[in-house]
Amino acid sequence: MPKVTINGTEIEVEKGTTLLRAAAQAGYEVPHFCYHPALSIPANCRMCLVEVEGNWKLQPACYSEVTDGMVVNTKSDRVVKAQKAVLEFILVNHPVDCPICDQAGECKLQDYYMAYDAQESRLRTEKQSKVKVFPIGPEVLYDGERCILCTRCVRFCEEITGTNELTIVQRGDSAEIRTFPGRELDNDYSVCTADICPVGALTSRDFRFKCRVWLLSSTDSVCTGCSRGCNIHLEHFRNEIQRYRPRYNPQVNDYWMCDAGRLTYKEAHEDRLLRPMNNGVQLNWHAVGEATADKLRRVLKDDGAATMAFVVSPQASCEDLFLAREFATKVLGTTNFYLGGKADGDSDDFLIEADKNPNREGLSQVFGGLDDLKTAVQLLQDLEEGTLSSLYMMESHLPFDSGERTRFIDALDQLDLFILQAQHRSDLAAKAHLALPTCSHAETSGTFVNSQGIHQRFDQAFAPHGQSLPHWQIFTRLSKALDAPLEYTFVHQVQKEMFPAPEEEDDAAQPAE
Amino acid sequence: MGNVTVKNVDRIKQTLWEKSYIPEILRGLSVTTSHFFRNLNPNKEKRTIFTREYPEVITEYPERYRGLHRLMLRDDGQVRCVACMCCSTICPADCIHIEAGEHDDPTIEKYPTVFVIDELRCIVCGLCVEACPCDAIRMDSGRHIPPSLERDEAFFDRDLLMELGGLSEAKQGGQR
Repeated sequence: MPKVTINGTEIEVEKGTTLLRAAAQAGYEVPHFCYHPALSIPANCRMCLVEVEGNWKLQPACYSEVTDGMVVNTKSDRVVKAQKAVLEFILVNHPVDCPICDQAGECKLQDYYMAYDAQESRLRTEKQSKVKVFPIGPEVLYDGERCILCTRCVRFCEEITGTNELTIVQRGDSAEIRTFPGRELDNDYSVCTADICPVGALTSRDFRFKCRVWLLSSTDSVCTGCSRGCNIHLEHFRNEIQRYRPRYNPQVNDYWMCDAGRLTYKEAHEDRLLRPMNNGVQLNWHAVGEATADKLRRVLKDDGAATMAFVVSPQASCEDLFLAREFATKVLGTTNFYLGGKADGDSDDFLIEADKNPNREGLSQVFGGLDDLKTAVQLLQDLEEGTLSSLYMMESHLPFDSGERTRFIDALDQLDLFILQAQHRSDLAAKAHLALPTCSHAETSGTFVNSQGIHQRFDQAFAPHGQSLPHWQIFTRLSKALDAPLEYTFVHQVQKEMFPAPEEEDDAAQPAE
Repeated sequence: MGNVTVKNVDRIKQTLWEKSYIPEILRGLSVTTSHFFRNLNPNKEKRTIFTREYPEVITEYPERYRGLHRLMLRDDGQVRCVACMCCSTICPADCIHIEAGEHDDPTIEKYPTVFVIDELRCIVCGLCVEACPCDAIRMDSGRHIPPSLERDEAFFDRDLLMELGGLSEAKQGGQR
C-alpha cells in the first residue's frame, strides 16, 4: 500500500486512492465543487488544486492518484493563491444574490468564500447576465447566473439515471446548462440534481422560498413513499416537515431518492385527524379509552371475537404492528387478521418499488409470513356477506379501486362497531364509530423493514400533532381500559422484546461530497 | 450541569428608631412637603423637579432613537425587502413573521407576500436593522409604538410598515 505524506502527516492508503480521499483520511479538507463521490471525475472546477513535491504544476486532488512516497501540501502559499484565484474567477459572474437564493446556508461557494477567499471583489465591469428562474424541468428551476458549470447535474443525468437530458451550451462566460432541444429535466430523480448542485443554480420548485435552510432541524428518518425505504434527512421547522433530503446509505439508496418520495412529506400534514372522535363528537383520550372499552366489551359479549375483523397496515412500523398483534390476540382474542395498505403503483429498476407501503416486510416478520392474513378483497366480501359484526382498522389505506372503495364504505353501515386508527380525516374516519388519531412517522420513532429485508430505525422529529398518538400507545391505552394491560411505556421496551439481540447497524460514514 | 453555589445575604436589621415608625413617616413627609413648596416657586429655574407635559409638549428624540419599524421602498414604490429572513432569524423576540413569494419580475424574484411585526413583542433592540442586507427595514421613524386596545392592532403588516417607509439612499444591487 502506498504511503503518502500530506501536510506532514504520513498516511498509508489503498492503491488507487485519490489525493482528495487520502487528505480526507488524514484529516485535511480539500475544497472541491465538481467532485462527487458517486459520479465520474471531470476535474473541471480546479478548486482542489494541491501542491505535489516534484511537480512543477499544481495537481487536481480529486483526480490524481497517490503514489508511494508522494509528498503533498494542501495548504502551501501557492495552493492558497490558486484557491483564491479560482474563487475569484467563479465569482466574476456570480450574482452574489445570497439573500434571495434558496441555497444560502448550504452553499459550497458561500462556505468556501468564507474559508478560503474572504477578499473584496476587484471586478469593476458589468457582470454577464444570463437566464434567471428558467423552468428546466417540472420539479427544478435553473438560474444561469449562479451556475458555476461544475457539471455535476449533467453527469448525474448521464451516469445515474441514464436519461441524458442536460448538457452545456455556449462557451466561455456565456456557457449555461440546458436540456437538449425538445427535452426537459423530467426524470423521476430530477430533484437530486438540486441536491448535488453545490450552488443555487438548480433549486427544487417544491422547496422554493419555503424556508431558509439555517432554520431547519434535521432528523434521521426513512422515506415512507415505497418499500425501498430510502434513508432521508427529515428536515423540519416549527413542527412541520419542510423537505426530505436523501441520506447516504450504500445498501439502500446511495445518495439518491426519487421525486415522488420527496413529496410524500405532504401527506404527513394534510387534513390531519387531531382529536379522538366518538360518532363525530370530539373527546379526550381519557374519555375515549372508557368509551372504546365499553363498546368493545359489548361487541365481544354479544357477537364473540370470531366475527371481529382486525385490519393491520404495512404503513405502520414494526413496533406498532407488534402491539397490534398482541392487542388483537391477547386482549380482544381475535386472530381474524386482514391486510390493508396502499395499492401497488409504478416501479423502476433503480429505487422506486411497486409496493407503496414502507413496511410490508416488517409486517410479514411480525406476523410470521403474510399467508395467515386475509386480503382486502376478502374483507370486502366478508363485509358484504355480513359475516363480520365489527371491524378494527389501522390506517385508512386499503388497496381498492374507487368502485371497491364505495362498496366498502357502503358495507360499513351494517357493522355494530367500527374502530379506526388513522392519521387523516377521510370518508372512512367519518363513518367510524370511534376514530382515533395516530401520528405520522415524523412524530414517533420506530422501525421499518424495507423490501431488501434491512431493518431501518427512524427517529422522532417533533411532538405529535394535536392529540394524536403512535399506534402502539393507543393499543396500550385501550388494553388498560379493557383490564388486560400490555405493559409497555416506552418504545424501546417494545423494541427489546421484538428484536431480542438487535443487529448493530453499521453506520456508514459518508465520504466527502 | 455545573455546581450550584449559594450566597447567603444577611437581613438588614431595623434600628429602634426605624421600628418606632412615626419619626420615619415624619421624615418622609417633610421631604415631600419641601419638594411641593420648592416647586411652587414662580421662578421656574429654581424648581428642582421637571415634569414633561407629554403629549402637549413633544420630546425631541436623539437622531439614532429606535422607534417604530418602517419598510423602505424601491425607486418604483415597491417594497425593498427580498424576504431573506435575516431579520426574523436574528430577532431575539421572534416578532417578525415573513412569508416569501415569487415576484413577477425575474430580476427581483423574491418578495415578502406577508410581513408582519408584532410590535408588542418587539424589544426594540435594532438587530433586524443591522441584519438587513438591503436597507429594507429601519427603525428611524422617530415614533413610539402606538398604544392599542386589541392585540391585533399591534401586528403591523407589510402595507402599514411601507406607509411609514421612504426611498432608500442605497443603490439597488449595491454599488460597483
